[in-house]
Amino acid sequence: MKPKLIIGIIAIVGFTSLLMYNFGNSISTYVNFEQASGMEGAHVVGKWDDSQKYGFSMETKQFSFYMEDEDGNVRRVIYPKPKPNNFEEADQLVVIGEMQNGVFYANDMLMKCPSKYNNADEAEFEQATAAKS
Amino acid sequence: MIGFLGDLFVNAALVSAILAAIGYYFFAQNDTYKHFKISNWLFGLQGLFLLAASGLLLYIILTHQFNFYYVYNYTSSNLQIKYLISAFWGGQEGSFMVWILFSILIGFGLMKWTRDPYRGPVLFFLTLTQIFLLSMISGISIGDFQLGASPFRSLAEAMPNAPFLQSNPDFVPQDGKGLNDLLKSPWMMIHPPILFTGFAMMTVPYCFAMAALWKRKYNEWVTPALPWTLGANVALLTAIFLGGYWAYVTLSFGGYWAWDPVENASFVPWLLGTAGIHAMIIQRKSSTSQKASIIFAILAYVAIVYETFLTRSGILSDSSVHSFVDLGLYNQLVAFMAAVTIIGLGLFVYRYKELPSQEKESKLLSREFMTFAGAMVLFLLGLVIILGTSSPIIGRLFVENPTPPEVSFYNEWTMPLAIIAAIMTVLGQFLFWKRQDAESLAADLLWPVAISCALTLATIIIGDVRNLYYMVYLLAAWFAVVGNSVVMYRLIHRNPMLIGGTLTHIGFGILLLGILASSAYNEMLLDESVKNYNAAIERGEVTDEQGFQKTQKVEFLELNLDQPKILDDRYKVTYEGYTLKNQERPGQQQYRIKFEPADGEGEQFVLSPQVYPMLSSSSQSEIQWSVDPDVRTGWMSDIYLYVAGSSYVERKNEQAKESAEKRPGLASTEDDSIAVQEVSLSRGETVKFDIFDLTFNDYSEVDDQQLRDSTLVAIRANLELSERGSDSSVPIRPLFSIYLQDDENWTYAPPVAIPGYEDASIQFTSVDPSNGGIDLKIRGIESKIQEQWVLLVAEEKPFISVVWLGTFLLMAGFSVSIFRHWDRERKKS
Repeated sequence: MKPKLIIGIIAIVGFTSLLMYNFGNSISTYVNFEQASGMEGAHVVGKWDDSQKYGFSMETKQFSFYMEDEDGNVRRVIYPKPKPNNFEEADQLVVIGEMQNGVFYANDMLMKCPSKYNNADEAEFEQATAAKS
Repeated sequence: MIGFLGDLFVNAALVSAILAAIGYYFFAQNDTYKHFKISNWLFGLQGLFLLAASGLLLYIILTHQFNFYYVYNYTSSNLQIKYLISAFWGGQEGSFMVWILFSILIGFGLMKWTRDPYRGPVLFFLTLTQIFLLSMISGISIGDFQLGASPFRSLAEAMPNAPFLQSNPDFVPQDGKGLNDLLKSPWMMIHPPILFTGFAMMTVPYCFAMAALWKRKYNEWVTPALPWTLGANVALLTAIFLGGYWAYVTLSFGGYWAWDPVENASFVPWLLGTAGIHAMIIQRKSSTSQKASIIFAILAYVAIVYETFLTRSGILSDSSVHSFVDLGLYNQLVAFMAAVTIIGLGLFVYRYKELPSQEKESKLLSREFMTFAGAMVLFLLGLVIILGTSSPIIGRLFVENPTPPEVSFYNEWTMPLAIIAAIMTVLGQFLFWKRQDAESLAADLLWPVAISCALTLATIIIGDVRNLYYMVYLLAAWFAVVGNSVVMYRLIHRNPMLIGGTLTHIGFGILLLGILASSAYNEMLLDESVKNYNAAIERGEVTDEQGFQKTQKVEFLELNLDQPKILDDRYKVTYEGYTLKNQERPGQQQYRIKFEPADGEGEQFVLSPQVYPMLSSSSQSEIQWSVDPDVRTGWMSDIYLYVAGSSYVERKNEQAKESAEKRPGLASTEDDSIAVQEVSLSRGETVKFDIFDLTFNDYSEVDDQQLRDSTLVAIRANLELSERGSDSSVPIRPLFSIYLQDDENWTYAPPVAIPGYEDASIQFTSVDPSNGGIDLKIRGIESKIQEQWVLLVAEEKPFISVVWLGTFLLMAGFSVSIFRHWDRERKKS
C-alpha cells in the first residue's frame, strides 16, 4: 500500500505541476502597443480609431486601420484577411500579433460586439431609438 | 398587466418550489407519504406557473410588445415566426426558463420511476436546483438587492438612467433591435433546447449521488441513475454536434471546433458525465468504486453550474466571441455554484468514513482497474479544459491581466491523453467481457495489433504523414477502431444489446482519426500566382509600402467574372456571377462559383456562398456585411468557401457613403463634369460599359395617349439593362418622337433614369433608317468597362465526414446502452 501511495502522490504532483507550468506559459497578459514591441503573440485591447483611414486594399490584400489602446497610444494595425464581420460595430477590439517598426501585425482579431449575444448598453440603445423616432 | 402577471407567475413558481422542497425534505427524513403527495402537487403547480409565465413571454414576443426590455432587445416586428419563437431562448432570462421547463418534465419522470428510498432525496435536490434557477429570473427587489433579472421587466425598469425614459417613462419604441442576423438560422431553433435538455438531465446523477449519501445506500443508486446519465450524455453530445455543425456551415468560424469557452462549457460536463458513467458501470458490475461514482456524478453537475457561471457572469466577455454580459447575476451565480459544490462535497466528506472501500486491490489487468483508469483519463481531460477555460480567474496566479491560453495548450494536453484513452478502450473491452491474464490477453490482441499496424502504415503512406507523434496517435486510434470492432463482432453473436460500449469506443477511435485528418491536413485553396507570392514572402523578398519586410501570407484568391483560375492543379474555378435574393434578407447576394476538374475529367459542381447586409446593425451610411459560407461535403474531403469581398459589395459601400455625404439642399456642383457617351446599337446587339450590359432587343409600340397630337413619328426602344454578373435585369424603354410645332419638326426624347443610379440616364437620340439601329446617349456613367470580381477564402478540409461519423457512432453507442440499462431497470420493477 505504502509504495503505491507514494507513487500516486508523485504522479499527481508531477502532472499538476507540469500542467500548471505549461498553462502559465501559454497565457500572457494584455499589453498596450508600447509594451507589445518585441513580444510574440501580444494581446492588445483597444478601440478602433474611426477618424483615420481604414479599409481593405486589393493591392496588398490586407485590411488596415488605426487602433487606440487603453493607454491612448494609436497605432496602425494590419490584418492579412478581409475586413471581419461586425468590425465597425465592435465596441472593443482585441488584436493578437506582433509589433514591427511601429505597425502592429495582427494574426488574429477578436471583436466584442454589443449586439452579438449581449444586451444593449444604454448608449447604444439611445442611438438606436433616436434614429427611429 | 402582463408584466405584473408574468412576474407573479414566476415568483409563484419560486414559492411553490420552495414549499415543495420543504415537503420533499420531510418526506425524505420521515418517510411520510402525506408530505410526498403534497410536494408532488406543489411541484406540479410550479410547473403550471412556469408554463403560464412562458406562455406570457411567448405571447409578448409574438405580439411585439416592445415596452418589454426582453422583447425590444431580441426581436423586431419583421422577424419570421420561427425566429420569434426561438427568441424565447435567445436571451439569458428566457434560456433559464427553458432550462427549468425541461427540469420540471424530468421531475415528473423521476416521480414516476424512482423507487424508495431514493425518491424523496432525489426530488428534494432536483427542486433545490430549480429554486436557484428560478431565483435568476425572479426580479424581486429586496432593498437595494435585486434578485434575478425578470424577463418581464419594462424598458424603464431595465435602464432607469436613460434620459429619454426619464423624460417620458411610457415611451414605447416602434420596433425592437431584432435578433442578431447570425442567429437567424434553423440551428438556433434546435441547438439551445437540446443543450438545456442535457443540462437539466445532468442534474439527475447529482441528485441520485446526493440521495445515496443521504440515505446511506451507496450501491443500488447507480442502476436507476445510469440511464439518466447516459441520456444527459447523448443530449449534450447532440447539442455539441449541432453547435459544431452550425459554426462550420453557416457561422463561418472556419471549422467545427475552436476551443471557445462556450464550446468548452458543454464539453467539460460531458467528459465528467462520461467519467461518471464508467465508474457507475463498474460499481454496478462488481460493487466497487462507489466513491468515484458519487464524486463524478457531483462534479459533472458542478461543471455545468461552473460553466454557466463563466459564460453568464461576464467574466469571459473579453475572451469569447459569444458569451453573455453580466445581467447583475454575478453574486447569485456564485452562490448557486458555492451551494451545489459545498452541499455536494460537504456531504461526501461527512459520509466519507462510511463509504465502502475496496477490500482487495484490483489487479492491473482487470476490468475494474481499466474502466476506472479510463474514467480518470476522462476526468483529467476535463480538468485540463476547465483550467484553460478558467484562465481569466486562475491565470491571475501567473500574470496580472491574463489572456486566454493559446490553442496549442489544449492540443498539447488533449492529444497524449486521447492516445492513452484510445489504447485503454481496447484493453478495457477485452478485459470487460472475459477474465484474462497477461498471456491470454496478449494472444487475443495479436491480430488486432497486426491489423492496426497495417492500417496505420497504409494511412502514413497514403496521407504522407511525416510527424512521428501523429504516427503514434494514428496507431492508437486505429487500435481503438480495430480492437473494439473485434469485441463487437463477438458480442453481436451473444446479444446485440450488449454492443453499446464497443460501438461508443469505435466511434471514439474514428473521431480521433477524423480530428487529426481534418485539422492537421487542412489546406487553403490558392492559385499559382498567390502561391508564388507566398513563397516569396517566406523567402523574405516582399516588402510593403513602407519598405518593411512582409511576413503575413495571402490566404485568399481573387476571381474575375468568367475568367477561370486553376487551383492546386486540381480545380478550374470560375466566378459565374451572382443572384440578388430579397426573400430572407433584403440585399442578400448568392454567388455562383463553378468548380471543374482541372484535367477536364470528372464531375463539376457549383458552390453558392452568400453575402448579406446585417439588418440589425446596418445604417444608411454604413452597411455591415455578413457572410454565409457554402460547403461541399464529400466522403474524402469538404470544400469550404466564403466570399470575403466583391465588386458588388464594394460598390454598395461607396453608394452608401456617397448618399450619406450628399445632404439634401446642397446643390450638386459636378453637373458639368458628368460623363456623356454615345453608342450605336443594332437589333440584338449588347454593349458593355462600366458595370452594365445593355442589350437592344427590339422596338416597342407607343401608346398614343402619351403623345402630343402633332406627333409625326414615335417609337420606343426595348432595352434590357443588367449589372454584369447579375442574372436579373431591368427593362428600359426610352422614347424617341418627332412632332410638329410652328411648322417645324422637333424631337422629343426624354432621358430615362437608370434605376439605383440617381444621376445616370439613357436617352434615345436617333434612329438609323438604313439598318434599323439606334443611337443612345448615356450620361453619368463611365464608359470604361469595370471588372466584376470576388474575393474568396477557400479551403479543402479532408475527412470532416469522418468526424461526423465518429460522433454519430458515439451517439448510437450511448443510445444502445440507454435502452439496455433502462430495459433492465424496468424489468426489475
